[in-house]
Amino acid sequence: MDKAIFTFIDRCVACKGCEIACAVEHSRAKSLFGALAESPHPRPRVRVENAGVHSYPARCMHCEDAACIAACPMGAMTRNAATNAVYVDESKCIGCWMCVMVCPFGSVSADPVAKKAFKCDRCPDRTARGEDPACVAACPTRAMIYATPEELAAHRRQATAMNAAGKPVARVAGNVDLWRSLKGGTQK
Amino acid sequence: MKIVIIGNGPAAVAAAEAARELDGHCGITMISKEAVPFYSPCPLAEYVEASVPRDHLFLRDEKFYRDQDITTFFGHPATAIGTTARRVTVGSGSDAAELPYERLLIASGARAIMPPIPGLAGTPGVFALKTLADADGIVARLPAARRAVVIGSGFIGLEAAQALVRRGLAVTVVEALSQVLPQMLDAEMAALVETRLRDHGVDVRVNSPAEAVLGGQAGVSAVRVGGQEIPCDLVVCAVGVRPDLSLLAGSGISTATGILVNEFMETNQPDVYAAGDIVEGFDRQGQRRVLPIWPNAVNGGRIAGGNMVAARTRSFRGLDGINVVRIFDLPVASFGSSAGERSLRYAGNGILKKLSLSSGRVVGAQFFGDVNATGLYHELMNKGVDVGSFESELLSPGFGYGCLIPRPPLPTRLAA
Ligand SMILES: Cc1cc2nc3c(=O)[nH]c(=O)nc-3n(C[C@H](O)[C@H](O)[C@H](O)COP(=O)(O)OP(=O)(O)OC[C@H]3O[C@@H](n4cnc5c(N)ncnc54)[C@H](O)[C@@H]3O)c2cc1C
Ligand code: SF4
Repeated sequence: MDKAIFTFIDRCVACKGCEIACAVEHSRAKSLFGALAESPHPRPRVRVENAGVHSYPARCMHCEDAACIAACPMGAMTRNAATNAVYVDESKCIGCWMCVMVCPFGSVSADPVAKKAFKCDRCPDRTARGEDPACVAACPTRAMIYATPEELAAHRRQATAMNAAGKPVARVAGNVDLWRSLKGGTQK
Repeated sequence: MKIVIIGNGPAAVAAAEAARELDGHCGITMISKEAVPFYSPCPLAEYVEASVPRDHLFLRDEKFYRDQDITTFFGHPATAIGTTARRVTVGSGSDAAELPYERLLIASGARAIMPPIPGLAGTPGVFALKTLADADGIVARLPAARRAVVIGSGFIGLEAAQALVRRGLAVTVVEALSQVLPQMLDAEMAALVETRLRDHGVDVRVNSPAEAVLGGQAGVSAVRVGGQEIPCDLVVCAVGVRPDLSLLAGSGISTATGILVNEFMETNQPDVYAAGDIVEGFDRQGQRRVLPIWPNAVNGGRIAGGNMVAARTRSFRGLDGINVVRIFDLPVASFGSSAGERSLRYAGNGILKKLSLSSGRVVGAQFFGDVNATGLYHELMNKGVDVGSFESELLSPGFGYGCLIPRPPLPTRLAA
């Protein structure tokens, strides 16, 4: 199975290190000082949101049956064949915002300056070098991990063992699991 | 298995791809009235505007059909369907050919409505904005055009108006009803759009039904509205689209406004499916609707394509009714109903957002100036999520998916 970013929401301390790392990674300079000098300032594609008593670094889930790809009338919303990540081919995007209209997570936004759809691309340059995406690498509490589902399961077993030893266990948030747990209406 | 697909738009291509993915050997034949490969009509206004080059409209090339082993009859309209003989007639007169099918998909889309306004039909310089040929016609006329009238203020009319302004024309939009975007926005929202159009030089006239198109074989010279003549050398008629049912005569396929389909995209006739702008299906709330937008065409096409290969293996979760348009770069979006029991609002920085709620659930939204997270609100409506516990956060700038993550029970030592 391909790797995905999994989130342990109890671990997030809302330091916003992921936001900064994301903005820097997607800047032209790829350094904090260089990024600060760029105009417009590079913006993060991950956003730390309030999640009840926790915080949640919200970003694209790279859905298997991605609504944004079906909705894009320019063939701009694309799946990277190598990493399976969904990204915007900016040379094709016309900023029609259909993808913004259909993303059930609110994870594609409209960049009003570039007039291009704006979202997480899961750092293709970094992952091609075998590194974790910038947000994952920057997180000081390991609230996000970039792993295959099998690796995640191993990680959880380890966490459970730690819990048995009296250490706290984190809750994990994959993508659809959270929707399933939402109270109210059922999906047809 | 012989599959015949009428059409070459997103519904048709999505179906062909889905069928081919499941069955490498089935015969697939596509028939299209237009001679060109699959293109997207959505950026036609941007093409007229010259911000999107013509080659970017094409989403597949000729090689695609060869690679997918699809037989094509392009440039030839389907003219009749015999559901008993299981044949489609292509072309007419001595050119006509009969194509037998085992599964048939009708994905021939909608047509632009041309109301019976005297002079509208047949006067050179009058166009719809529906097909590539329409857009090419407008582009060819631009060098000789100074003033344009756009009839209708739906999203295609407004996109056309902006494109023509940006090509240097003086543009008047005439709308029969009392506001612009009448299908999409309430009066308050529409007033913001009208102001923005006027600020960018568009002469917007509401309560102004077009009465006649004047001119002759030399071309259009004016549009008469309320007894007054608006001089022009180009007219774009954009009063809406309607499923094109002309090819169904005598087929026994049941229709209302569109072809009636169930959740499998089946029509009432055996082995005949339909998808895209031509269908009247069920929306996510179970209402019969005609909702001619791109995502519905792609998703419906995929369902039909899968079911043509393996019957009833895929079912449609329902058509979406979502609208988004840019008014001189400012995004405006809506979905659902604006007539909920209550309305939440956020206004500031040139942005106006309204959410309609009924029984603690989102039933509709209208956004002017900022459309981010529209999909999330739409999903709250589709899932029927009770938003009561976070209602006050809904329109705050920090609202996001995180706010929906269920709160875990407090650890006992804290709760105590
Ligand atoms: C200017 C414009 C802007 C738009 N913008 C948006 C947007 O921003 N977002 C959005 O979601 N939607 C938008 N739409 C709507 C969107 O383009 C349609 O919903 C979508 O293309 C419908 O797909 P379809 O496959 O049903 O039909 P179409 O794309 O209309 O394709 C129909 C196909 O059938 C063929 N055909 C027709 N009659 C026959 C016949 N008798 N025999 C054989 N072939 C036939 C045609 O040649 C064509 O290949 C826009 C439409 C227009 C015109
Ligand atoms: S905004 Fe760009 S990526 Fe999104 S649907 Fe439109 S063209 Fe595709």
